[in-house]
Amino acid sequence: MEELITTLKNPDVLTILGIGGILFFTVVAILIFFLLVKIDQVKDLRGAFQKMARSFDELDEQAKLIVKTDLELNKAQEELDRRLNGLNSLQKASRLISTTLDQDEIFRRLDQSLISELGFEKNLVLMLEKSNNLKCRIGSGFSQEEIAYILSHLEKESGLMLALREGHSFSSLSSPKQRKEKIIELFNVEHFILIPILTQAGMIGVVFVGNHSGASSMTEGDEELLSILANQIGQSLENAQLFEQVYRSRQELESKIQERTKQLAAALEELKKISKLKSEFVSAVSHELRTPLTSIKGYASILITGKVGDIPPEVRERLEKINKHSDNLVKLINDLLDISRIESGRAEMKFILYDVGSIAENVRDLLAPQMREKGIQFKTEIAAGLPEIMMDLSQIERVLINLMGNAIKFTPPQGTITFRAQRDKEMVVFSVTDTGIGIKEDEIPKLFNEFYRVENEINQKVKGTGLGLVLAKKIIEAHHGKIGVTSKLKEGTTFSFTLPLTQPLGRNDQ
Amino acid sequence: MSTHVGIGFSQNPNPSVAAQEAATRAKIQTQQPTIDLAIILNTIHYHPSQTLEALQEILEEAKIIGCTTAGIILSEAIEMRGVAVVAVKSDELHFGISHIPEILSQDLRQAGNLLARKAMNDFGMIPRQGFLFFMDGLLKNSDPLIKGLQEVFGTLFCMAGAGSCDDFHFKKTYQYCQDMFLTNGACGLLIGGSLNFVAASRHGFRPLGRPRIVDRSQGNIIKTIDGKKAYSLYEEFLGEEASALRSKTFSPMATLYPLGIFLDEEKEYLLRNAVDILSDGSIVCPGEIPEGKQIHIMIGSKDSLRAAAHDCALEIQASFKGNPPKLVIIFESLLRYKLLGRGAYQEIQMIKEILGEHTPIVGMHSFGEVSPFHAREPFKKTHVQHETIVIIALG
Repeated sequence: MEELITTLKNPDVLTILGIGGILFFTVVAILIFFLLVKIDQVKDLRGAFQKMARSFDELDEQAKLIVKTDLELNKAQEELDRRLNGLNSLQKASRLISTTLDQDEIFRRLDQSLISELGFEKNLVLMLEKSNNLKCRIGSGFSQEEIAYILSHLEKESGLMLALREGHSFSSLSSPKQRKEKIIELFNVEHFILIPILTQAGMIGVVFVGNHSGASSMTEGDEELLSILANQIGQSLENAQLFEQVYRSRQELESKIQERTKQLAAALEELKKISKLKSEFVSAVSHELRTPLTSIKGYASILITGKVGDIPPEVRERLEKINKHSDNLVKLINDLLDISRIESGRAEMKFILYDVGSIAENVRDLLAPQMREKGIQFKTEIAAGLPEIMMDLSQIERVLINLMGNAIKFTPPQGTITFRAQRDKEMVVFSVTDTGIGIKEDEIPKLFNEFYRVENEINQKVKGTGLGLVLAKKIIEAHHGKIGVTSKLKEGTTFSFTLPLTQPLGRNDQ
Repeated sequence: MSTHVGIGFSQNPNPSVAAQEAATRAKIQTQQPTIDLAIILNTIHYHPSQTLEALQEILEEAKIIGCTTAGIILSEAIEMRGVAVVAVKSDELHFGISHIPEILSQDLRQAGNLLARKAMNDFGMIPRQGFLFFMDGLLKNSDPLIKGLQEVFGTLFCMAGAGSCDDFHFKKTYQYCQDMFLTNGACGLLIGGSLNFVAASRHGFRPLGRPRIVDRSQGNIIKTIDGKKAYSLYEEFLGEEASALRSKTFSPMATLYPLGIFLDEEKEYLLRNAVDILSDGSIVCPGEIPEGKQIHIMIGSKDSLRAAAHDCALEIQASFKGNPPKLVIIFESLLRYKLLGRGAYQEIQMIKEILGEHTPIVGMHSFGEVSPFHAREPFKKTHVQHETIVIIALG
């Protein structure tokens, strides 16, 4: 102890201790300083770390927000995609099934479309048969055994079938739980839509689509899509049915028409035979009649001349009647013979090119005395520039004389007869119009019948054969023209006929 | 030296007739009397029992592999129903095919090992270019199968594969190898010769929110993330909508928001879909999730998905130095197709524009894809992926 005190009292030691103390305190001070600095740095680092942790937390929060937004966007996008796909597929399916009217083809195209376009895993189209049983027309994703099971069990589900018949549809999205479970069990799917095919006549079938996998649930868009498709199927099938009905009716009608045409053709053939026989008979009889009639007329004429001796006036009067009636009879027989010849094709038409205006002049010259006698005015209206046309002049003059003769006969004194000729495309239309008594409407169709004479006062007074118009018709038809008549009672009548500008080659002989 | 490729397609409702039509059309396009290889892709509407015999009649001695798919990608359209046949005749390529039935009941690693070895039978010293394979898309974790293949071919060998599927039914898929059709199986095609086999993949999803750490996982099951039950990640982001992930069938939520694991070596996120949620809140994925990895909820848009396909096609184009490939095969996730919706074919049109209007293109919608991410960088690792587009080119 004493030694220690002695040492401490040594000034050198004291100096060393003093310096050491100063150094010690300096080092401690420096250490304290650095410690304080480090503490500050740690504080800063802790702050930065906390900031970073907060940033990470914020990053997570932002990420969660992004995920939520992304989820919503994805759902919307998925629904939109499905709807677009669905609409696209529906449009294709509709186009496919609406462009055919064959029911089998509709199902074939629908089958293809349901499988390849709409993208459901399981598809069924069941149709009601006449027996009211369901029959599978399209089935994909199901085995035959599964389809048979579904058919037999679905028909037993009277409540479900009734609801379908009433137009209700069902889906895994919106159906009541009990019904949904029943359908899922029956069709062995997880997601489904079951929808009736309706027409105006009611339900004709059902469409079923289903998905098995969880990733393919149904959406409202799918429901709408199937509803439109079911309607389209209904319409297409209805159209096809209607078409089939119309087609069948048409077929029946066509076959009836064909049968009737055959009957008519046979009747016509028969009529032609009869007509020919009649013509032959008329021709033969006329020939046979004409010879003795010529003798009768000849003898009557000789007797009238008095060459075989004087005859009393009473006898002359009777002989003149015999002569006159013989003339009528000869005319009748000649007309009959002409008709018969034209009908049988034995009459020879001598076609020549002739000017229309000249015909009118010829006829007027011929009938001028009779018109003058009744004070009838005769007018001609011939279109300018009419070409010469092919005709048998004597026959056409015969027609015109007949028509003009009738006009003169039935036109009261001071009346007017107009002859017209004008072009209509490749034909010339001739007409004779009078201001006569006219013809009753119901008599017009009978005018061209053989021996038909219109009932009126004039006809009762003036004798006629009833063959003039028949002969005129035959002559015009032999020229490939047509004859017709329009008339108004008490106002007048117009007879018109057409003649082609040219006659077909090789048609000179009729 | 030449390679002739023909692609035939038919939608005839009769499976046998459809197979005949597709095979005949493909064969006619090659303009060759015989075919060396045929790849068959058909939708689930055509059962292999009705198609394989008809195919063999037309394709005769050709080696045949293929599988069922949810949709068929063609140059002109995407078809959700039909049979497609790719016929190849080549004197510059060599093909080896193999198959493994009933892989679900086997050690997957060994099954992959065997699948690779069988394909190599009779291959000799011919340089191997790549391995194309189809596996049952219903496999819960296909990573071990890939590992088994890599044990034989090496981890850097180019492999591309697709999970066969049956749309969203998740019931039964088929794989074909020669005259056999398998279910729960896998079939493979080893391609060798002087042509290049290139594969690249992209998904187009981006991470959302802060990274989380998988702190407990077991193979393809994520137990906990950031100390909480794994499912709570989805609950946080999706709220009540997350319950859809618990449904019996695959949920659209899993498609829209997959999980992304960041791969440091690839500088890329590997996607995993949540295919199931267990009662303890664990998430089941169709591929492995290593513990300690960063994990994100991922999000993608139609544009980002298409941009990814565009990048993928550009990468293939660059690896061929602008020359059109002789055949392009696309494996596109069915889930991507659902996301792209009406715009799905635009993606194919874009690929066509990049790889050549007249380049034969065929593809399928798969459930699970296998491919390296990058085509240009050699020796890149093959991964089991989801919601991804894989473009494979031969040329």
